[in-house]
Amino acid sequence: MVTVYSITNCPWCDKTKKYLASKGVEFEVRNIEENEDFAKECLQLSGDTMVPVTTVDGKNFVLGFDKAKIDELLAG
Amino acid sequence: MGVYDFTVKTNKGVEKSLADYKGKVLLIVNTASKCGFTPQFEGLQKLYTQYKDKGLEILGFPCNQFAEQDPGSAEEIQTFCKLNYGVTFQIFEKGDVRGENAQPLFKYLTAQKKFEGFNKNHPIAEKLEEALKANFPEYLEGDGIKWNFTKFLIDKEGNVIKRFEPTTDPADIAPEIEKLL
Repeated sequence: MVTVYSITNCPWCDKTKKYLASKGVEFEVRNIEENEDFAKECLQLSGDTMVPVTTVDGKNFVLGFDKAKIDELLAG
Repeated sequence: MGVYDFTVKTNKGVEKSLADYKGKVLLIVNTASKCGFTPQFEGLQKLYTQYKDKGLEILGFPCNQFAEQDPGSAEEIQTFCKLNYGVTFQIFEKGDVRGENAQPLFKYLTAQKKFEGFNKNHPIAEKLEEALKANFPEYLEGDGIKWNFTKFLIDKEGNVIKRFEPTTDPADIAPEIEKLL
C-alpha cells in the first residue's frame, strides 16, 4: 500500500496524488496537519515535516513531487 | 481604535484577541501562503527564536493576493511544502491584506504607517518593482500592502512603531526590536 503524507493547501501534494491516481496506483493520504500521529510517523520517516512524502514500505521514501523518483520507488 | 481592539483567527480556526498580546513587542507580517522558496520565513523564525523569551511575538498572516512566484527566486524551484512553513510562531487564517476585502487589522496597520518606498539596495527591490509594474500596477499606488513579507513593528503598549517593506530582511529589524524589548 502506498502512503502519501501531506498537508492541506499543498499544490505539490496534490500533484503527487494526481500522478499516482493517473498511474492507477492505490494510495492512502495521511494529513500531518490534522493528525499528530501521522505527523510523528512522517517526522520519523523523513526527519522533517516537509511534504509530500511518498512511501511504500515505510522505510524508503520520496520527498517532494519527483515523478522519476516516485516511479523508481513504485518499481521497488 | 488600536491594535488590541482586533480579533483574528488562528490557522486552527480559534478566535484570538490581539489584546492577549498586551505587554509584548509584536511583529505582524503578511506571509506567503504558497510553498517553495520563502527565505524570509527562515529569517523571521531566527528572530523569534532569538527574542521570544525576551517578549517578542511574531504574528504571521498568510495571504495569496500576490503572485504565486516570489520575485527573484525562479531558479529555486522546490517541489515540497512544509508543515507550518517550518516556523513555530503563530500563523493565522489565510485572508486578504489589501483592497476592499482586506482584514481590518491590515487596513488599520497600513493607515497607521504609510508606504515610504522600497529599499533600493535590497537584491529583490528591482525585480519586485518590475513584477509589480507588470502584474499589479495598481498595487504600487497608495499605502496598501505591496507584497508578501511586509512587517509592522508594535511596541509593548500597542503603538505601531514602524513598517518594513519586503525589501527589509528580518535580520535587519533586530536592532529595532531590541530597542523596544
